[in-house]
Formats: sequence, C-alpha cells, structure tokens
Amino acid sequence: MKKILLVMFSLFFAAQINAQTADEILDNYFENIGGRDAMDGLSGIKMMAKVSQGGMEIPIEIVQLKDGRQYTKFQLQGIEFFQGVFDGETLWNSNFQTQKAEKADAETTENMKRNIGAFPDPFLNYTDKGYSVELLGTETVEGTETFKLKLTQKPVLVDGEEMENITFYYFDSENFVPIMVEKEMMAGPMKGNISVSRMSDYQEVEGLYFPFSLSQGVKGGGSQPLMIESISLNPEVEETMFKFPEEN
Amino acid sequence: MNLLNKILAVGILVAGADYAQAQEPIVLSGDQLFGDLKARHIGPALMSGRINDLEGHPTNNRVIYAGTAGGGVWKSSNGGATFQPIFDKHTQSIGTVTLDPKDPDNKIWVGTGETWTRNSVSVGDGLYKSVDGGVNWTKVGFEKTERISDVVINPENTDIMYVAAMGALWGDNEERGVYKSTDGGNTWEKILYVNSRTGCSDLVMDPENPEVLIASMWEFRRTGWSFESGGNNSALMKSTDGGKTWNKIHNGFPEGRLGRFAVAIAPSDPQRVYAVLETEKDEDKGLYRSDDGGASWERTNGDFGLVVRPFYFSRIVVDPKDPNVLVKGGLTGSISRDGGKTFKNLGNMHSDIHDILFDNIDSYRMHVGTDGGVYRSWDGGETMEIVQNLPLSQFYHISLDNEEPYNIYGGLQDNGSWYGPSSSPGGIEARDWNSVGAGDGFRVFRHAEKPIVYSEMQGADNIWRIDIEKNQVTTIQPLPVKGDPKLRFNWNAALAMSPNKADRVYVGSQFLHKSDDMGNTWVKISPDLTTNDPAKQNQIESGGLSMDNSGAENHCTIFAIAESSLDENIIWVGTDDGNVQVTKDGGNTWTNTVASIEGLPSNTWAYHIEASTHDAGTAYVVFDGHTSNDWTPYVYRTTDFGQSWESIATDEIYGFARNIQEDYVNKDLLYLGTEFGLYITVDGGKHWNQFNNNMPPVAVHYVDLHPRTHDLVLGTHGRGIIIIDDISPLRKIDQEVLAKDVHFFDSEPFVMYEEGGFGGNFGSETEFVGANPNRNAKITYYLKKRHVFGKMNMAVQDLNGNTLIEISPGKSKGINVVDWNFMIKQPRVAKGKTLAFGGLTSPRVPAGDYKVIMTKGKQSYEAPLALNYDPRSPLTEEDRVFKHNTTMKLYKMSEDLAYLVYQIDAINERAEQIKEENSKSRKVMDEVINELTKLKETLVITTGDNYVGSAEPQLREKLLNLYSKVASSYNMPTATEMENLQFIEETFADARESFDAIKKKQIKKMEQFIQKNELKPVEIKAFDDFK
Repeated sequence: MKKILLVMFSLFFAAQINAQTADEILDNYFENIGGRDAMDGLSGIKMMAKVSQGGMEIPIEIVQLKDGRQYTKFQLQGIEFFQGVFDGETLWNSNFQTQKAEKADAETTENMKRNIGAFPDPFLNYTDKGYSVELLGTETVEGTETFKLKLTQKPVLVDGEEMENITFYYFDSENFVPIMVEKEMMAGPMKGNISVSRMSDYQEVEGLYFPFSLSQGVKGGGSQPLMIESISLNPEVEETMFKFPEEN
Repeated sequence: MNLLNKILAVGILVAGADYAQAQEPIVLSGDQLFGDLKARHIGPALMSGRINDLEGHPTNNRVIYAGTAGGGVWKSSNGGATFQPIFDKHTQSIGTVTLDPKDPDNKIWVGTGETWTRNSVSVGDGLYKSVDGGVNWTKVGFEKTERISDVVINPENTDIMYVAAMGALWGDNEERGVYKSTDGGNTWEKILYVNSRTGCSDLVMDPENPEVLIASMWEFRRTGWSFESGGNNSALMKSTDGGKTWNKIHNGFPEGRLGRFAVAIAPSDPQRVYAVLETEKDEDKGLYRSDDGGASWERTNGDFGLVVRPFYFSRIVVDPKDPNVLVKGGLTGSISRDGGKTFKNLGNMHSDIHDILFDNIDSYRMHVGTDGGVYRSWDGGETMEIVQNLPLSQFYHISLDNEEPYNIYGGLQDNGSWYGPSSSPGGIEARDWNSVGAGDGFRVFRHAEKPIVYSEMQGADNIWRIDIEKNQVTTIQPLPVKGDPKLRFNWNAALAMSPNKADRVYVGSQFLHKSDDMGNTWVKISPDLTTNDPAKQNQIESGGLSMDNSGAENHCTIFAIAESSLDENIIWVGTDDGNVQVTKDGGNTWTNTVASIEGLPSNTWAYHIEASTHDAGTAYVVFDGHTSNDWTPYVYRTTDFGQSWESIATDEIYGFARNIQEDYVNKDLLYLGTEFGLYITVDGGKHWNQFNNNMPPVAVHYVDLHPRTHDLVLGTHGRGIIIIDDISPLRKIDQEVLAKDVHFFDSEPFVMYEEGGFGGNFGSETEFVGANPNRNAKITYYLKKRHVFGKMNMAVQDLNGNTLIEISPGKSKGINVVDWNFMIKQPRVAKGKTLAFGGLTSPRVPAGDYKVIMTKGKQSYEAPLALNYDPRSPLTEEDRVFKHNTTMKLYKMSEDLAYLVYQIDAINERAEQIKEENSKSRKVMDEVINELTKLKETLVITTGDNYVGSAEPQLREKLLNLYSKVASSYNMPTATEMENLQFIEETFADARESFDAIKKKQIKKMEQFIQKNELKPVEIKAFDDFK
C-alpha cells in the first residue's frame, strides 16, 4: 500500500515538474520568498557580511537601493575601502594603493545605469522592465534537480557594441528558489569564462526570504564564500555615501 | 500554501519515501553523487593537439572558433590570444563549426566527428546548435552520421541550410550524403546520396548565388588493418537549383577511379573554383583550377605539398579578398599567390596542416590548425607563432611514478613522449614538461627504482631506454633472430613493466618478449598469440589510390600485457584481433580464453587487461569494437583465470570503452575510460555513473590510480591529463552511507606540508597553466539533500571545544569536500593610515587532534580531524612548541597593540567632542590629544599610502614584520629574530609606560573635567569585546 502511495506521489510530483512554465516557477518562487507585493514594496536592502577564507576575515557592508544607488564597503585592518559605489550617475571605487576614490570607465558606468530597475529581483515584474524569461529545461546541478531559466535583461555595451545580457538561473525544483546563477563574463581578461554564484541558507527577514550564503567564482575554478550575518530592509542611508568624493 | 507548509509537506513526502524505499537500493546518477569531487586539468598545452576546423566571425575579427579533433570547441574573443572551451558537455570530436551569417554572435552550429580519418580518429554523434553564443547546446539530430564535414547556410535566407554528412569510417552507413533544411534546421531532407560507402567530405556554396552548391563525394573505408581511399563513386557534384538536381563536373578531370577532393570557391570571384584531386595515376594528381564555376578544369600543380595524404589534408582555403591567393593543407601547408600555378611552404610550425583561416579584414593575419594546435601569423603565413593555451594533447597511454610530487608519463599523437609533474610551484607550466621521445609517442614508463624512462615510437620502430640523469638514450626494441618470422608490432606497440621485478620489461609483437635486464636481452616466452590471419596482413596495399603504409594499420599483434602483481608467473595478453591469452607458469603454457566470453563478436580488439590486485584469478578485459563499426562497450570480469567471464557493462555506459582500472582498496570500485568520458561504479559493475565534474566527455584512453595519493589520473585523447585528486571517499560509498542525511567520511591524518617559493608567472598570461592539487586538510561528507533553507555552518575546534576558525561548508547533494589551510584567523591589527602587510599572515595550528563541528538547522554533527607536521621537517617537538609560542606571543602583542591604539583613538575622539561641547575644556583636552597623538605616531603609521607614498615604519609595522617572518617560516626563529623580538618587546613596554603616564596625568585631568561638568564619559570596550 505504501508503495502504491509512493508511486502516486511520484507521478503527481513528476507531472508537476513537467508541467511547469517559466511563469509558474516564478509564481512559486515569489510565493515561497514572501510574495511579489512585499518584494515590490522594498526601497532598499543593507547586508552585513563577511568573506572568510584562509584565515583572512573581511567585514563587508553592502547597500542596494531601489533607484539603483548602491555601494559595497569593506574593511582591512580597520581601514575602509569602497567598491562599486553608484549614485545613479557616477560609478567609483577606492584605489587600493592610494586609498582614494577613482571613477570607473565610461562603459562600465553605462552598463551600471542600464542595470537600474533590476532591484530587488530582476524577475519581479520582468516584462515591465523589458526583460524576458525562458525555461530551458531541467538540469542536475549541485547534485539536485533544477529548472534552468534564461533571463535576458537590457543589452550591455562591450567594446562599444551592444551585446545581449543573459543570465542563467537554476531554481531548485523542490523549493523553487535559485541555488545557482551562471553568467558569461563579457569583458576583461577573463572574457568568455563563466562566472558562477551559488546560493543557500535562505532565511526570513521581516517576512521575506534571502540567501544568507553566497559563493562566487569561475566555472571550473575556485570560489569565494560570502557569509551574510544580517540583512535590514528599507535602510536609511546618508546621501553622501554614494557621492564621488570631490576632494579627489 | 505558505513556505513553511510547503517545506513540511516536502519533508513528509521525502520521509515517507525513505520508509517505503527502505528495501530498494538507492541509485544515484553521477551528477547526484560526485558533488565536489572535481577533475583538474594539467594539460600540457605546449604541444597542444590536432585541430580539425577553424571558423571566424564574419565581421568581428576578435572572435575565432577552433573545432578540435578530440578536445571540443574553443572560442577566442580576443583575436586568438587565448581560447575558452565552450562545448564541454558534448562529444569532443569536431567536424565543423559554422556561424549563422545573419546572427553570428548567437547562432552556432557544430557538426561532430573529425573528418581527417586517421587510424586513431575519434567519432562524433550528430549536429548541435547554440542560440546563445555557445553557452548552451542542443542536439539537432544526425546521431548516426559519425562525421559531419560541413554546415552551409544561405546568407540571404538563413532558414535554408545544408549539412554534409561524411558518415562512418569503419562500416556501411546509410546516413551519408547532403541534407537540406528550409526551416532553420527543424526538419531535414536528404537531397544527395550515392551509396553506403560514399559520403560528402566537402560542401561549398557560391557566396553570390546561394542556389549554387558543389559537393565532393568520397568513397572511403577503414578497417583495423587497412585503409582504402577512392573508387568509382567518388565525384565532384554541382547543383544550381539549391540541391534539387546534381551533376558531375569532371570536364578536364582524368578517367578512372577518384579519391578524396578538396574544393573551394574564391569568395571574391565565385567563378574561380579550385579542386585538389586524388587519382589513379600520380601524374594526374594535384590542383585543378576552373574559371567558369566548375564547367571546365585545368591542372595547374602536382607538387608534393598538394598531393600528400589526401585523407588527412584535403583542405583548400582562398583569401577572401584575392582569388589568386590560396592555401592548401598538407605536411607543411602550401601557399600560392599566383592562382595556384606555384606554391611555397608556410612558415615553420608543427607539421600536418588541416585548416587555415584568413582574417576578413587583414588577409595577412592568418590562423592555422595543425596536429599541434593553432598557430597564428601576422605576415601572410611566413612566420608562425603557437597559441599557448590550448591543452588539447592526445594521449594514447599514461603511467605514474612514485616521486614526490609524482610525475605523469605518456605518449601523444604526433607529439612524442613526455613526462611532467602532478604539481609545481605556481601551477604546472609548459616548462615543467620533459620530452622523452619523438614521432607518435605511445607507452611510457618510469623504472620503479632507477632514473630510467622507457618510451617508444610508432610500431616499435624505436623503443628507448633513457637515463634521465645522464641524459643518455639507448634503443632496446626486440630484433628478429634466426628462425623468426617478420615481427609484427602494433602502431601503438605493447610495452609493459613487471609489478614484481623492477628490471623486467615486456614487449608484444605477435609473440610476447620478456627481458629481465632492462631490454638488453630478450626472450620470447610465447608462441604467436594472435590469430595470424594472413588476410589482415597486407598493409603494403593499404591506402587505396594513395599508398599509405605508415605502419598504422599493422594488425594481428599483441596489444595488452598484464603481469599479475600477486604472482609473477601469471601473465595476461590481449591481441588486436580478439584473443585473450593467459599463462600461469611464466609463459610455458598459454590458454586462449576468449571463447568463453559470451556476447562478444569474434575478433573484437582486446584493448586493455587489468590483472586484479585483490585476487590472482581475477582480471578485467575491455574490448573496443569501434574499428568494426561497433560502439558497444564490452567490459568483462573473470574470477577463475578466464574459464568463465561475466559482462559488467550496463546500458548506463554510452559508447565504446577502452580502459579499466580496479581500485586498490575496494574491489567493487572500478573506473572505466570510454570514448565519451569516465564512468565509475561503486558496486562492482551493477551500475555505472558518468563523472562530469569539470570533466568533458572526452575519449579516455588510459586510467591509472596513484597508490599513495589515491589520485585517479586520466590520459585523454584530446584534453591532456586530467586528475581527480584523492578518490578515497568513493571507497566508502555504500547503501548505509547513501541512506544517511549526513555522513562524514573518515580521513587519514593530513600532512601540513611546509613548502613555498617563487612560482613562475612570468609570461604565462596567455599560456595554459595546469591546476595544482589542493594540499589543505579536506573535510569530506555526504549530504542526502542539497541544503537550501536555514543556517548551515562549520567550524574547526580544539578538543576542548574552543573554536579556532569558521569555514564555509559545501551544500551540494552528494559528496562535499571542504578544505582548510590549517590556519586560524589573522591577528587583530592596530588601525593606522595604511595597511600593515605583515598582519595579513595567519598562523598555522600545531599538529594534533581537532574536531569539525557542522551545524545544519538544529542538527549538529562532529567529525575528528588529525594533523601531522611535514615529515621532512628537521624541527623537534620542543622546537615546534618554542616556534609556536613565539608566533603566538607576537600574535598576542599585535592584538594588545591594536587595543592600545583603539583606546587612544577612543579617548582622542571623545576629547575632540568635549572641546565642541564645552569651550572651557580646550586646554585639558588639547593636552590629552597632543600627548596621545605623539604616542600614537610611534605606534602606527599615520600618514602616506599603500605604495611608494608609504611612511616610515613604526612599532606596529616592525612587530608585524617579525610576526609574519616567524609565523610563515618553516624553521626555528633565528637568534637575530629573537633579539629583534626583545627589542620590540622593550619598545612596546616603553609605549605602555608612556600611555600609563599620560593616563595618570593628562587623562586623569580629563576624567576630572568630565566628572565635574557631568559630561558623557569616554566609552571603551573591554579587550575581549574589542577582539
């Protein structure tokens, strides 16, 4: 009897898996992480995290706001460095040697501008953003069955030419949350390699679920884990945090 | 359903499933089981490997594709400086790469199956398509064509396309011919078919009139012992109506049988057509030119470079801008700048040129595909330079030694014989590899005790014994003696070592030759062990219209030799014509056991025999039927010296197999090398799992297992050497483990190796550098499910439960490997203006016993972890204690200094605030600030930057420099270092005294002021909170 039940369960489950469309997967996803409305209501997010590898422990603070403003701040021996600071117009980073701010090149900045609107989740109202989503099928990654979704966002500039901006998301077929993301690197000396992010440790923050563990690396190579210690929603952030320091 | 309910429901379902399935064995696919066990690729790339086809982007000359003979498709986005593999989930043998003319950034077609049909050629399994620039691929069909030579697309309407199917090399094949699609490749119609022996080896389209097509139809066939190119059905056919009707265009060609054609239409003048012909008479062979679209032909040149080995070199490429400039593939490659009348060789590069790519913008920029990788030229082919990051080496065989680190030895298609290390400072670079042979290299071995390497070249023309210390080479192959028939050696001649006697060497001709003195004296210890079928020994007639008696077709030879490690008198021999012979008395008597193998077609090539290391009567044989057009994997085991055999192949294995390796510890753990990758069984062959983790489905010709490191080493025919480090967790996989939620695998104590140096990165920006093994401690566990929700942490603790460091655990379903570099956190460092680089050093823990604690949700798991010191270290136990204590003293000093500076900063900050809050405070506060600032300036750097603007080092920098020196040294602290430590300790003590003095005087006054005026006091964290 148990066996028959199991077979029925399996059939039901298998049928469910087969019948998925990209939008159904995303419906499940948003339901599971707290709902579209709650996501849409977010004005920003602030994460306190650390990279811990080989004895080195680097505290990191990441802020992303709905209007595209963002920064990443990390500390080495108490000294603060900034990466990917964007006020909507200017993108800048700290120079490691001089510890002073330097502007990113025009193309990188332009691509950052084109990314405005992706917050808090590119899949949220993706058609309104001009993005498209396609279900490519199922694939076993991280040992487990996933749905592979292709997300196409606004084109990016590479060496002055517009290129398609494609990311592949692998949604765990049991929980309907992404556990891995792959993207081809479009520029720089690593051009052509595939960057891989793995997500886990989803936890609730005020009714919404976020992955508290992220590991980023290159396909076939090593990866660097980012452990998130806390997440606060709709943070109050001083406007000056994003501005390029003009004394430079 | 909310999330919680959902998780709960899934949990119940899974729990129910567990219960119901308790009696059923758990069978996981490779992707579900192997988890973090990942292959690493070490190349080499310095000799690279064979290239079949090059393709350029029509407008962006930075984008180039290389379709390789056995290593997949590689893409360059930087003008050929470096390439990336983009086809690693699919068949690695490539016939053609074609870009969609209208959407070349996204739409790519790959026809698999190499088209240069040498004896060792791999096979393809159909046509693939990508619509996203090569990130994802789908198979379109044509599974049975084996080789696709061209995909041609109408540039005006890209829904109209043609596929040229060359077809099977080793047998009849109905799928050959030309196919057409009018719906972008969804449906296909066969529009040209000659017969089951004649395929389409080239298909070209008029760039100005896509209705015009020319197809070269080639009659060809290879067997294990012969090759035949040409026949009455070979023809050059033309269609002017998009493939509806075809006509021979032989006006000007000689009569009689024809062989393989090369054909090309000049892009800038489509009436100009070039064809190279293989004909009956030598004087008719060569280049033919047509100036009327193929209506008539005139022979213009018959140079060696034009007629050499048509089956291997039938490629002509015409300059896109100049119809008079053309290049012909060949031994050296030939270029003409006068419309094919005269030729000269291309510049120096690896021989055997298979394809040429002219840059669309600058024709003097060329890329050339050879047997030894891709070369580029900036001057029209005069000077060639190799692309250094294509690890496409094609190994026939590999072996290992017992050095530290161990070396890998092996022979390569057309690229000699080599050995190189399994690890090297900074990664395994081209310069780490050593050449130990010429020609086609095959089997290479290291003497078990002496600095001697054996290697060979094709057909045992030479077997070399090389003293790698003295750099002396001796040739030692067995020679015929009176009464001997002609000795027949395979192209890949059987050469084997004895696992019992270090000086013993075996060589197989049709006889088994044994030497007990490293090849000086040979004794035949068998009769002819082959079928000695005379019909398979006419190699002098091999080749068809172009004689091709290279030795590659030698047959009725011994191919596999295995002496049992348990008994030197037990020797197994496999032959290329299908015999499996065994002797139990050192060669006095032989038994042919093949008749007792059921289900094996007769005369199937006995490719590898593995004598068990667990039981003398047990052996494994892998037969390769692909040279009889049979892709079935044949894997058999005997446990009674071959009286009976049992098949251990299952339907899970795709394609034919070549090699098997038995595990040294678990006899049910077997590793199988096949044409399409690596398969592993953990249950003695009941189920096989394909290993895909960073492992493309490349032809694995040889598998070896290192007895000391437990590394599985694969000799691949297209992607060099691939290693899976330490497979020992697989030895423990059984049903009990698979049923658990979490299972930690026992580990041997880890050695904390003490080495480091200056790995060379100079000039390696565009060079392939092989990955080194990871020598950290490895925490290995099995997870039944992928961890998704809730916290999952891992920490290393001492036995008292003190956490030394937190590490990030793996979350995959299957086997997870987490590594730890034996280090604890870096010390807390005093905050200055700039970084103190000495503070980036982490100390290692002492050797001993530790535990790993993993928490997953509410569950907690514990596993022991033991560490040993490097056995090569001269340090005594007492030395170790002294060194560790010194390191930790400095570590603690850094933290104390950090705390001191923190207090100074906190007091100063508050003093500044009070100055703002109360104008009468200025004098008191300024005194505090002045004194503390003066002190701080002696403690840390307070000005400058992290580069050449750096300020003079202060106490922090001096202290951390010494700390870093002592912590990262492999020796005892030196006398100088100890004196330096004393000096720093004294300086630090002085600083503390100064601070105490300021506290008693200036700070006390500040505190009194605060009290009196009821201001907020200075807030200072306790030391433990600060840390």
